[in-house]
Amino acid sequence: MRRAGVVDSARGLGPHDHVCWSYDDPAEFVARSVEFLAEGLELGQRVCYVGAGSVEGLIGDLAGLPGGGEALRDGSLQVMSLDERYRTTEAVVPAQQVRAYAEATEAALADGFGGLRVAADVTALVRSAAQLDAFCAYEPLVNRYTATRPYSALCGYDRRELGADVIAELACLHPVASAGASPFWLYAESDDSMVLGGELDFRGRELLPAALGRTRPRPGGDLVVDVADLTFTDHHGLFTLSDFARRDGGSLTLRGLRSGPARLLGLLGIADVRVEARR
Amino acid sequence: MRTGPAHGHVGYFHETAFYGSDEEFVSFAGPFVRDGLEAGEPTVVSCADANEKLVREAVGDVSGVTFLPAADQYSRPTNAIKRFRDEFTSLARTGAPQIRVIGDVPHPGTGAPWDWWARYEAAVNHAFDEFQLWGLCPYDTRTTPAEVLADVERTHPVIASADGAHVRNARFERPEEFFVRRGRARPDVLESRSPSLLLVDPTPAAVRRAVRDAAAATSVAEAEVDDLVFAASEAVTNGLTHGRGPVRFRLWSDDQHLVLTVTDQGDGPADPLVGLVPTTKTATAGLGLWLTYHTCSYVTLDRHDEGFTVRVVGGTPRLVD
Repeated sequence: MRRAGVVDSARGLGPHDHVCWSYDDPAEFVARSVEFLAEGLELGQRVCYVGAGSVEGLIGDLAGLPGGGEALRDGSLQVMSLDERYRTTEAVVPAQQVRAYAEATEAALADGFGGLRVAADVTALVRSAAQLDAFCAYEPLVNRYTATRPYSALCGYDRRELGADVIAELACLHPVASAGASPFWLYAESDDSMVLGGELDFRGRELLPAALGRTRPRPGGDLVVDVADLTFTDHHGLFTLSDFARRDGGSLTLRGLRSGPARLLGLLGIADVRVEARR
Repeated sequence: MRTGPAHGHVGYFHETAFYGSDEEFVSFAGPFVRDGLEAGEPTVVSCADANEKLVREAVGDVSGVTFLPAADQYSRPTNAIKRFRDEFTSLARTGAPQIRVIGDVPHPGTGAPWDWWARYEAAVNHAFDEFQLWGLCPYDTRTTPAEVLADVERTHPVIASADGAHVRNARFERPEEFFVRRGRARPDVLESRSPSLLLVDPTPAAVRRAVRDAAAATSVAEAEVDDLVFAASEAVTNGLTHGRGPVRFRLWSDDQHLVLTVTDQGDGPADPLVGLVPTTKTATAGLGLWLTYHTCSYVTLDRHDEGFTVRVVGGTPRLVD
């Protein structure tokens, strides 16, 4: 079972968690990475720290990691430059990158670890529009992988450089995010279902259609969206969801929709949406 | 061909009638329904129980009449407009040259706040005008407050007189004029003290939290709180996106009800029907307000010297006298 929602630290996360951390101060992301990786080591996972700049500099970031030196020597801690880990300084190739992490995860398992845990500052990989687009395609794919395999990740994004809008575009594609990064979260664990939580108001009006398209890039028929943790939606959110399902030519079931928005569906005459109690 | 006084009229023939006794009510309601049935015009009666009984007795064979109990039909103005429009649309399919409807609009004399029904009476001049409809709104002068009667005169282009005449009403105002010239809506008694919360240019998320927190200390039911949270969120979003800042959110509550107002410095929506009829243009404020009107127990829109205010009440409003 993975976590979903907003967190205020990188502690207490499990082997399937995928977190977006946006920061204004690089030292903050270093501190979160140390928390995240330290717990990974405690859980018996191979941990990996990735960032821009030299490997020496990155190793320096982890001075506060308990047992870091020894972990580096025995291979339970890996430190890599972005270039080496993502094999590009340009746009990622989504499926290839997921495969690379899958291979690294399987290698960690083969080496006797419980899984792989990565903290990576990927700001440099989302600077241009093309890079951002590629990364926004990659994040949902990696969600699918982490759902079933013991791969957990903390993705760092520099808000000063990227701005709040780009952060929101990325953050909403992570099951877990730091506070204020995105008003909602959306991810899929299978072809015919999604999880949508948080709040849908005017802040999410443009974000949601894009996020839906990225999470389910190809029309796929019937869709179930678990909205049990969707604490608010306005009518635009409901229209967007039903329009998206219609694009797919399939039915839409909203599982666990609150009674308020369920009544709005009726008033708005959105008849092609089924509301189901939470299982 | 339309029978009766609307002969030759195109669209909605919106008439009121004032009466001071049951006999007087029957003197125009009886012929209104009977003549409609005789002419084969679809005839709808949406009266309070006592008046419906009087109509049934006066008409005798009411098998051709559509009865829509007023308590359901007039639960809220927006619901009433939607239900009537749906009904008229289906009746118009019969190809009848005219539809007749007689209905008892609620007011403080029957236990309902008036302001939104005043808006209703003005707005239906537009909202029903696509139908070849003769609507008769009787008001009982024994129970109807004077301020309501004054608004009724300003919103009905025709008045039925006791002698059976149908008089063009010189005091009628177009809905657009009525909304501008009418005074401010009656506030809730809670508003006489300072609000328990005032937020300037808040995020809708902050307002939603504030409403939930305040509602938790009241007896307002959870489903109604959801509606109130939606209403507050929409009103603030509309103020921030369509109004002129700063946008002020105010909240009052006691243990039984909640009043919230959202004020911006702009003129408010220009459309006199805003909130009362659904709009297909979701980019405008209309649909959120329409849903608010549908779901909340009292909603007012006020244009005033300081700008534009949306008021929403959760629980039962206690308006000042």
